[in-house]
Amino acid sequence: MSVRRTLSIARRTFRELRNDKRTLALMFVAPVIAMFVFGIAFSGDVRDVRVVVVNDDKGFRDPGTNITVSISKDIISNLKDDILTLEYVEDVEDGIHRVENGEAYGVIIFPKHFTRDLYKRIRNPSFLKNAIIKVKLDKSNVNVANAIIKNVSDAVIETMRKAGSESPIILDTDNPIYGENAEFMDFFVPGIMSYVVFFLTALLTLITFVGERTSGNLERLLSTPLKEAEIVFGYAIAFSIIGTLQTIILLAIGITVFNIMIVGNIILAFVVIALLAIVSLSLGILLSSLAKREAQAIQFLPFIVLPTFLLAGIFWPLEAIPSWIRPASYLIPPTYSVNACRSVMLRGWGLEKIWTDIAALVGFASVFLIAAIWSLKRKA
Amino acid sequence: MESLPYAIETVNLTKRYGIFTALSRLNLRVEKSVVYGLLGPNGAGKTTLIKLLLGLLKPTEGDAYVLGERMPDKDILSEVGYMPQDTALYLNLTVRQNIELYGEIFGLSKKRITERTEELLGFINLEKWKDELVSNLSGGMKHRVSLACSMVHSPQLLLLDEPTVGIDPELRASFWDYFGLIKEKGVTILLTTHYMDEAARCDKVGLLRQGNLIAEGTPEEIIRISNTKSLEEAFLIFAKRNART
Repeated sequence: MSVRRTLSIARRTFRELRNDKRTLALMFVAPVIAMFVFGIAFSGDVRDVRVVVVNDDKGFRDPGTNITVSISKDIISNLKDDILTLEYVEDVEDGIHRVENGEAYGVIIFPKHFTRDLYKRIRNPSFLKNAIIKVKLDKSNVNVANAIIKNVSDAVIETMRKAGSESPIILDTDNPIYGENAEFMDFFVPGIMSYVVFFLTALLTLITFVGERTSGNLERLLSTPLKEAEIVFGYAIAFSIIGTLQTIILLAIGITVFNIMIVGNIILAFVVIALLAIVSLSLGILLSSLAKREAQAIQFLPFIVLPTFLLAGIFWPLEAIPSWIRPASYLIPPTYSVNACRSVMLRGWGLEKIWTDIAALVGFASVFLIAAIWSLKRKA
Repeated sequence: MESLPYAIETVNLTKRYGIFTALSRLNLRVEKSVVYGLLGPNGAGKTTLIKLLLGLLKPTEGDAYVLGERMPDKDILSEVGYMPQDTALYLNLTVRQNIELYGEIFGLSKKRITERTEELLGFINLEKWKDELVSNLSGGMKHRVSLACSMVHSPQLLLLDEPTVGIDPELRASFWDYFGLIKEKGVTILLTTHYMDEAARCDKVGLLRQGNLIAEGTPEEIIRISNTKSLEEAFLIFAKRNART
């Protein structure tokens, strides 16, 4: 194999990109747009949820202090107003009607003797009646319903803590082992890095290679001393550099705009993404051998996009995927790059702990590269 | 294998695609330093033959030898220049970048690439367009660039598949002058053409029809044997005879 000939193919890819502003934009502007769109849309927090409050609680006059208190009002004041947009109505039926009409996602109902029952229960454990907050929800949107439940629950705990009546059991989740102060974006950026590089590299290689075949350029290249492996490795060099540049852009936005955390050695993440780019371009070359025209090549895209999008653990953990389909996740190369990048960036893991992911990617890259070279060698 | 006196030799070379026979037991010998013209209608097997010679297709039967080497042989391709029928250029590279790319692939030094690129830009008369993207060129201009790409490494053997299609008569004439010049320097040229006036300028022509070589000789011999006045008439006579057999 000649290094010089291999490099001539890599250089040609860069020259073509430099002259083709539209493709250049696709390679470097698309990741930026994807990062902003996903980053903003998938911030992970539910906000501005309309909720109706029916507060029938009359409060409770403490015989000792002769002061009337209302715990329901304290709880309401502890609800986060950036998450829940509250509207007050007098009648429970009216509140439920609003949910039924889609005007709100839930009704929070404080019964007439809420504070009184709470006080009695706290002061006299033999008092059997619980203070109940009824939350009637539209559970058609599980995320929104869960956000309401969590917010009300947090507000109750906060109110009780302020009132000096903490639960005898405290769940202490401070000082996590990994990911202190981690937010959804920190979880998400390593995933989107893999997704963007995998998708764009496969797309560009697939279309470029179908073009190489249909234009006669591939035959012309193969009528020179250039070997099939040199063509594939030339592309591999070019696209692993492009993938690394895309990752730099994505990380720059992640750090400056979304303030993501990186606790590990970022060079390792670059290595992982470069490997993924090689896997992806080999897949693109392989698929190109099945397409006669660019339009046919486009038909393969759903087979690249959907499994990666749904099963690689980019948007939700693999544990959230039904166990019977989870083995399929391990047949998708980005699964390993997402896991490796997340482990490096959020857990600070080194090569000694992510080697299995790297080994899997090297395995995929080797098999796909050999298959891609074979697909070019195949002769009629 | 010991070097043969032939630039090209095929022995019972056959290529079938399913039930269709593109080339049938072809025995062809092209001596060195000649311009050999392959004539024939579309589908006669001209392009198939060239692709077999380059090792781009696998023969069903028989063998092909190029510059003494049995094909496929990657190493010998460094001495072969190929211009395909499709222009086969990178549209997002400039004229100069396309020529330079093939210089790099053929392992020329940077200095040599620059020299050859300048020489060839002059030959194809595209100096003014050297920094233009190929996508902005006319069909004829693209053909000229394609020819330059096939010659950048000064090959011993040129395989040109319809090299003068879409090129104006004046430039065609200069191409033929150039072919004559490099032939004198020892280069062998095998080209396919539909133009009978071009065929008449070849040292030797072969008439291909339905995968069979139906006649071969110098243009004068072909005309004399067929008892006609032109190559075109001769071709028609041989085609009729072949159809009857």
